[in-house]
Amino acid sequence: MSAAPVLQCEGLTVGHTGQPVMSGIDFTLVAEKILAIVGPSGCGKSTLMRVLGGLDEPMAGRSVLLGLDLAQASITERELILRRSGFLFQGAALFSSLTLRENIELPMREFLPVPDREIRDLAEYKLALVGLADAMDKLPSEISGGMAKRAGIARALALDPAVLFLDEPSAGLDPVTSGKLDELILKLREAFGASIVIVSHEVPSILRTADFCVYLDSDTGRMGAYGPPHSFLQPDAHAKAHAFFSRAKLS
Amino acid sequence: MSQIPADAPSAQTEVLADGSAIVHLAGNWSIRVPLPTIVLKGDRVKLLSTDLGTFDSSLPAWIYTHFKHVRQCDMEALSPRLRALVEMAEKATVSSERPTPSNLLENVGTWSLASASSWGRAFDHIGQTAVSLARTMTGRARVNWSDFSLQLQTVGVDALPIVALLGFLTGLIMAYVGLIQLRQVGATVYVANLVALAMTREMGALMTGVIACGRTSTAFASQLGSMNVSQETDALRSFGINPVEYLAIPRMLAVTLMVPLLAIFATFVGIFGGMIVACAGDLSIEQYLTQAIIAIKFKSFLVGFIKSIAFGFIAAWAGCYRGAVAQRSALGVGDAATSAAVLGITLIVVADALFAVIFNLYNF
Repeated sequence: MSAAPVLQCEGLTVGHTGQPVMSGIDFTLVAEKILAIVGPSGCGKSTLMRVLGGLDEPMAGRSVLLGLDLAQASITERELILRRSGFLFQGAALFSSLTLRENIELPMREFLPVPDREIRDLAEYKLALVGLADAMDKLPSEISGGMAKRAGIARALALDPAVLFLDEPSAGLDPVTSGKLDELILKLREAFGASIVIVSHEVPSILRTADFCVYLDSDTGRMGAYGPPHSFLQPDAHAKAHAFFSRAKLS
Repeated sequence: MSQIPADAPSAQTEVLADGSAIVHLAGNWSIRVPLPTIVLKGDRVKLLSTDLGTFDSSLPAWIYTHFKHVRQCDMEALSPRLRALVEMAEKATVSSERPTPSNLLENVGTWSLASASSWGRAFDHIGQTAVSLARTMTGRARVNWSDFSLQLQTVGVDALPIVALLGFLTGLIMAYVGLIQLRQVGATVYVANLVALAMTREMGALMTGVIACGRTSTAFASQLGSMNVSQETDALRSFGINPVEYLAIPRMLAVTLMVPLLAIFATFVGIFGGMIVACAGDLSIEQYLTQAIIAIKFKSFLVGFIKSIAFGFIAAWAGCYRGAVAQRSALGVGDAATSAAVLGITLIVVADALFAVIFNLYNF
């Protein structure tokens, strides 16, 4: 794998309904690395991730995903790039009228030029990867929150993405389940060589999984710090990021 | 706490020579009794609590709301517990900006901007629909065709009973009203012309369009709206699937195809309904049918058909548009369903009026 940047931000400003929420975001993520976006509630983590993933427009600055400047791209180019990235939404956002298997098959049926049987096998394999092989024919309303998250990850993996965006994968899960999810994330990176962007509050899980970490400072509305998560535990780190990490580590 | 429990809570203001004020807090403060009101001038205040009895959250809340905009508020003389309760709230406040009271001009401005942006969203959605339709025609869009056949079933076949009932009753009512009038001039035989012409040109399409708004627009708005709430549309976009193409186009095509068929069905059922009334009274079945066939010209049939295509498209678009812009809440989805029906019926009646003018102009 080359060390070409997967994700590149320059002077990025994000926000919604015309109001900037977070600005001055500058960082680069190379392939096969895991980036965590952390910060206080409401600081714009999910908004930033939607922009990084090409779902929303940046308000200013540049955001380059897999070599494509999203602000300059045409709709077709953008859709092509979106197909190479997978998204797990906060509430998993499974299609509620489809079974888990159909959820994962949906993007495959749209984009993969392979026969039905192969698609079924692929979907079954991806569900087995996240440990849901025996819940394949259940509807999203019939499974628990943790299972929905895992099914959401399986769906995000449907098209073998180069980048995976996970919005709070372990929110609302018990420590054991969330620990298993961390292992799953690390395994997926290893197996698929994907880069992963995680929005999270869970410092222990960030320390375990992430290679780099962006700290968003809600007081100033700017990116506070960027670096390996363990560096934030050092006393000479960015003060608020240090407080965020050491405080959470104690609890 | 002070040991002299005075009764009602009170706050006495004393203005000093240098313009600063002293507020004496006294009595037992409780959330269950009315609290004193004070008028405060100046921006320097000192709070004293020498005669204060017991208090609950009412007192810190009162101090917080009354003095948060006072530049210099001296609370040194208050008990540490009270001071802590007030300061906790002050620290938690992110912005101490007082919301300016709204005036008429501002309200008009806000309302204009909101309605302008809602028009903007509507035109935006019309544009997206047009682009998606063009892409569908040229085969470049990703349309969920299995959804299309499902919608043909729910929009078309499942609506047959209600369309039959309402079409039948419409014809029946028209024949009944028409008979009463025509009897006065002894021209009851023309009731067949009346019912046949009205059903083909006007009522068949209009009734079916209104039923489509009630059944289908509302269903689409709540389906797409709740998919919006649970981020399912975002999930589609994350795969590079355009939700308008994938979800809205199959629905719109299904409705635009089914409403004209339903309208033709309603037309014939309506003429049949008219026959029941006419033949129960003055006409024979033969007379009625002969007159009806004379009355229905291919031209009027075409008028009804064109209208029903337009009405079907309007009903489907209203539902899809309202669903797409629904607020992300349970209330938002309900609103979307309601406003889809209202928007659809309004647009259908407006379009019907326009059609009447246009067809009249071209003598159609």
